[in-house]
Amino acid sequence: MEAEILKNLGNSILEFDPFAAEIWAKKAIEENVDPLRALAALTDSIRTVGDLFEKGEYFLPELVTAADVLQRAVPILEARIRETGGHRESVGTVVIGTVFGDIHSIGKTMVSTLLSANGFQVVDLGVNAPAEKFIRAVKDNNANLVAMSALMTMTITEQRKVIECFEKEGIRDRVKVMVGGSAITSQIAKDMGADGYEATAPGAVRLARELVGK
Amino acid sequence: MSLKGFTRKFKALELLTEEQLTALHKASLDVLETTGVRVEHQRALKLYEQNGCKVDYSNNRVRIPPSLVEESLRLAPSSYRVKARDPKNDLIMGGDTVYFQPFPGTDAIDHETWETHRPTRKENYECAVIMDALENAHFMTCYTPFYGWQGVPAVMSIIESDAARIRCSSKAFETASSYDSERFAIKLGQAVGAEAWGYMGGAAPLTWPDNAIEACYKLLEADLPLQIISGNTIGASGPVTIAGATVTNNAELMSGVVLAQLIRPGARLLMMDFCFPQNMRTGSPSFGGIEAYLHNVVFNQIWHHYGIPTKTPPPGPTDSKRIDYQNGTEKATGAILAALSGSNLLPLMGGVYGELSWDPIQAILDNDLAGIIGRLLEGVEVTDLTMALDLINEVGPIPGHYLSSAHTRQNWKKEFYIPRCSDRLTYPEWMASGKKSCLDYAKARMEEILATHKISPLTTEQEAGVEGVLKEAREHYRKIGQISEEEWSVYQKQISGKGYPFA
Repeated sequence: MEAEILKNLGNSILEFDPFAAEIWAKKAIEENVDPLRALAALTDSIRTVGDLFEKGEYFLPELVTAADVLQRAVPILEARIRETGGHRESVGTVVIGTVFGDIHSIGKTMVSTLLSANGFQVVDLGVNAPAEKFIRAVKDNNANLVAMSALMTMTITEQRKVIECFEKEGIRDRVKVMVGGSAITSQIAKDMGADGYEATAPGAVRLARELVGK
Repeated sequence: MSLKGFTRKFKALELLTEEQLTALHKASLDVLETTGVRVEHQRALKLYEQNGCKVDYSNNRVRIPPSLVEESLRLAPSSYRVKARDPKNDLIMGGDTVYFQPFPGTDAIDHETWETHRPTRKENYECAVIMDALENAHFMTCYTPFYGWQGVPAVMSIIESDAARIRCSSKAFETASSYDSERFAIKLGQAVGAEAWGYMGGAAPLTWPDNAIEACYKLLEADLPLQIISGNTIGASGPVTIAGATVTNNAELMSGVVLAQLIRPGARLLMMDFCFPQNMRTGSPSFGGIEAYLHNVVFNQIWHHYGIPTKTPPPGPTDSKRIDYQNGTEKATGAILAALSGSNLLPLMGGVYGELSWDPIQAILDNDLAGIIGRLLEGVEVTDLTMALDLINEVGPIPGHYLSSAHTRQNWKKEFYIPRCSDRLTYPEWMASGKKSCLDYAKARMEEILATHKISPLTTEQEAGVEGVLKEAREHYRKIGQISEEEWSVYQKQISGKGYPFA
């Protein structure tokens, strides 16, 4: 039974089936399958999808959907992990959001989804997030990475402001800051004091791993 | 008095059948009535509600009845004037008129490495002069053309940029908006007798941010024309099908039209299509995708059916990072399709990659492309004179020819468009010229413009007015903490320098 559940969990990702992911995650709990093993079955498939993306066979719709499917199963399995006193290995905790004055969400959501699928604990602040919200989220979640998006040229100032506020609050050294969005270039990122910039969603995952040293 | 621009002298290119057009219209109305739009502005929510819309204040959702949408579409004028600093540069938007303008970018480009850099104040002002000199750039862009330059605090970028264009050109004046910049743009326009033509920019899918709505109120309350822009990334923030992306885009824009017409019935509107296909590998838009141009064609047909003028920026930027074959192909394909399908305003000149880079040599080459398209739009005149039957009879077969006829002498310059920068030499001439390419010719034109072009300067009173608005804006943003002391110290050095304001 366990082998069948693990296989079906893996397949739910490969077949982009969110309902199957949820059903087989619940089944795993019912049948007392080790939730960490169930999670591993899912992340193995995420890696397969990632490899196919790297090879050029899959594109963002597959990559992002696979990550979404994963998110249907993860909360169910995580709840059980917590109940049993275990914990999920996390690459790092990232606070992500589109900065104040900007409500464009698609780029931020893509990165957020892909970071989750790649083992990050993600605290997604959504859009139009002021500096104070970033500060609170970093403190509350003991985050070691902050990712800020800004589509509008004008909201670059807001990204800079968040970094300045981190300095004032004395938490700048605790976090690495990465920025992205159409309005940003590596020079602008450097000028505002960010630790890294990436133009693409998959590239943002690579950068995030580099920044947290994983 | 007004600027003529180009005139399309034939029926616009239409891809949709009447049934398809009706289906897209009904689907857009259905989205507005059933799904609705998110409006993040309390005053606007109340206004929608007072006029028969269903408003859910818990999630800022507005559902609009079809009758209100259709009434609002009818209220928007199909043709109107936009006042420039010099009345001879006033624009008459609508009908078969096609104007071109530059498409802006963040950075300047190094032609050796093709890498970008933050421009200097001097580069920025020089490029504004170049835009003024280009005969087919009928209208300035919303930036100078860069989104700011070294040493200028971000909150002052738009206002400094507005001032630069006003100083360097008497062409009509467009502005962007951020951090309340439109209130200063309106005053800058008033200082020189021009209308500040600003934006209300939506965020797809189906959302209006509060700052966009605030700009809409400010501009319309000052009785200024308004550009309504919404752009989805096709396949990401809009459905992946052109039809689906058209429906959501249409619904977004229609909800903007409703609000604008409720604020000021009869408001002058320009509908702007800014949809690009999603690059399914990187997550960025594909700036040179044919799907963007296809969307433009459909967009033009729909909004002309509603009788509201259109603007289509997608041919302005490309996916290429250089001035090269790809860049030329993308620009030409997009611009020709947009012009043929009835765009009234086409941002084109100078944009290289995305909204990242702008280049004066690119702008000069694009100016030629606009001229070529202008010739295309003139179409073929068929009269007794142009058919030249008497002349054909007179010249007869070989050894007859047409080169020495008065008909040729009198008409060839009207019939033929000669791009300034195309290489049209014969091979031996090309060898003798040092193998020059269009890039060399464009560079030479740029140098000539910078050496000889005379801008029409502001009067002393106008200059004092412009400087007064800049001073007020600087004080305002310092007071509310949007300009840090560090930024101010760099900026202050620049604005008290000897070369100010031009360098």
